Amino acid sequence: MSEPVPANLAARITAFAARLRTRHGFLIGPGEAADALRAAGAVELLDRRQLRDALRAVLTDRPEQTRSFDHEFNVFFRRDGEPPPPELPPLLSETGAPGAEQDPAATPRPPQGQEGQVPTPAPPQTGEEPELVPAPAKPQGKAADHPDDADGDLQTVQTRLSPNAGAGGAVHTAADDLNELLRAASALIRVVELGQARRLRPMARGPKLDARRTLRAAARTAGDPAALRWLGRPRRAPRFLLVLDGSRSMGKDATLLLRFAQALHLRSRRVEVYAFSTGLTRLTPHLRRTRPGQPLALPDLGEAWGGGTRIGENLLQLARQERERVNRDTVVLILSDGLDTGEVEVLERALRDLKRRAGRVVWLSPLAALPGYQPVQRAIRAALPHLDALLPAGGMDDLLRLGARLHRS
Amino acid sequence: MTASRSDGLPTPADLQADFRARGYVTGEALSTALRLVVALQKPLLLEGPAGVGKTEAAKTLAGVLGTRLIRLQCYEGLDAQAALYEWNYARQLLHLRAAEVGGARVDDDELYGERFLMARPLLQAICEDVSPVLLIDEVDRADDAFEAFLFELLAEWQITVPELGTISARTRPHVILTSNRSRELSDALRRRCLYHWVEYPSARQELEIVHARLPGVNAALARQVTDAVHALRQLPLGKPPGVAETLDWAAALLSLHRDHLDAPSIEATLGAVLKLREDQLLAAPTLRGVAAQTPGQD
Repeated sequence: MSEPVPANLAARITAFAARLRTRHGFLIGPGEAADALRAAGAVELLDRRQLRDALRAVLTDRPEQTRSFDHEFNVFFRRDGEPPPPELPPLLSETGAPGAEQDPAATPRPPQGQEGQVPTPAPPQTGEEPELVPAPAKPQGKAADHPDDADGDLQTVQTRLSPNAGAGGAVHTAADDLNELLRAASALIRVVELGQARRLRPMARGPKLDARRTLRAAARTAGDPAALRWLGRPRRAPRFLLVLDGSRSMGKDATLLLRFAQALHLRSRRVEVYAFSTGLTRLTPHLRRTRPGQPLALPDLGEAWGGGTRIGENLLQLARQERERVNRDTVVLILSDGLDTGEVEVLERALRDLKRRAGRVVWLSPLAALPGYQPVQRAIRAALPHLDALLPAGGMDDLLRLGARLHRS
Repeated sequence: MTASRSDGLPTPADLQADFRARGYVTGEALSTALRLVVALQKPLLLEGPAGVGKTEAAKTLAGVLGTRLIRLQCYEGLDAQAALYEWNYARQLLHLRAAEVGGARVDDDELYGERFLMARPLLQAICEDVSPVLLIDEVDRADDAFEAFLFELLAEWQITVPELGTISARTRPHVILTSNRSRELSDALRRRCLYHWVEYPSARQELEIVHARLPGVNAALARQVTDAVHALRQLPLGKPPGVAETLDWAAALLSLHRDHLDAPSIEATLGAVLKLREDQLLAAPTLRGVAAQTPGQD
């Protein structure tokens, strides 16, 4: 069906596939490489654009890969005498939507040994706009480990926050309380009752006759459906969307809640985790890479950690970003102290949007654990009408009781 | 259908022309991917925002190839039984009772024969003599278990009916899967498919689509509508308008005998393009700007 590809081109295509795999983490095995050759044989080889489109259809499986693919293609299949393609514009530090799994090495980090040279940030003011300052590009990923491979095409910029925003920095947490956190996570997953699934399963009792099993039984009684079998609807499995306030005011609480997010992620694969401070970052890919039992170490989260608070704007961005994925099976857990000077109208709009789509919206606040706490902060007051529950999250005890409290609320 | 290659399969350019003749304006990348569906006999996963014409691409491909379109609409709770086959239990029971009254004995082979088998889309697709186009629409709406079942089928092209045995495909269907990314699909499914991300068309392409689908539309109005829709897609809308909305909007204006966009006509037809009240409020300044502009000249 396909025409044979000349040997030299076949070798280049194979090398191209290998480069996409090793440098950009594309999921390309021998099968995909063979398909790439078949695809090349199925289009006009002299038409470079057709060859590119065909290889892209075979070798990519996510829209986020298109950029790297096109760049590598232009490098690899450059015509003689053609000038080299321009360097890729810098990647943003923020992670994309689910599916936009980033190479951990692609996350911008401050260069080793130069941290001391970074100007010390002045005290932050909440709600300040961060400012992106391009820094000298440096090869990333494997290039750092292999000097011979230092001609990396992907360039990064160092993302510096404005002095008014937080310092960001890598996040390291201990793992000594993982067992307790796992207990808390299991209790939470167990108690969430969102209703019944639509999918029918054979059950002892249920709303619909299981004709297949009933007939099987009837065949033994000469066609008399004496023993009826039923199909029932099992409990709907919840999805969790955790939004973690990583601003400075959250301090140690944020780290505990981050570990709780990790524990929840270990107990259920249906968990999405975001962190926000002045900006919003998706943490799920980082959590997936952390092995159970190992201390959680996240790269520099930039605007999502240690800066000022912009609850409303970030929740609104999240509501839009996750719009298609938030449904009645989703439990939204917002982990924040609610100390925010932003526009409450924006926060209300975001929560209204989330509430309309999600199964439950729950706000966990470390401040709510303090004796005599009253939800009088502007953000919390505005949020309350749109919440299913406002619960304390001051320490491990609160997290262990979370399931029971959510059940009662 | 034209074919200029020795293998008798349509070239991307042929496909593009045939699609255009059916009112579907497509880019080269999509037509190349569709060519590979036919040439490599691999499923194609089309992802992209709602309303960019993913489903329509499969329908048009069936028209271009002159073959049958078999559609499986995915939804939460869809199970293999509903997608593959079901036994006609009522007829089976009647048959059992009749046999009992007549004193005859019914064995399993008779009870679970093809006369009582009701083929659902996936079984239909592999039983066709001529390769049909199998559209597995909105696969992201089905749950993980169904997805796992599906990639086994897509790899083996055979279905096992416990009572009948294994049914192998007579011909391999041309499979198109679509997803709006409401759920992340597994790597395993992605690896079994070719992949193409369908983006909103460019303003020029969208203008061509409007003219192809609504031949009677005024040129200036068509341009204004497509420009306005492109401006709207730049806004952080909850539900950005797709191509279907562009066509609906142009058709609504056409039915009101408008030849350009102005404030009253926008107000009267806004529901055709923006389907959320909050989006309508958010877009109001942009649309006021559109209404204030003089209609573009072709």
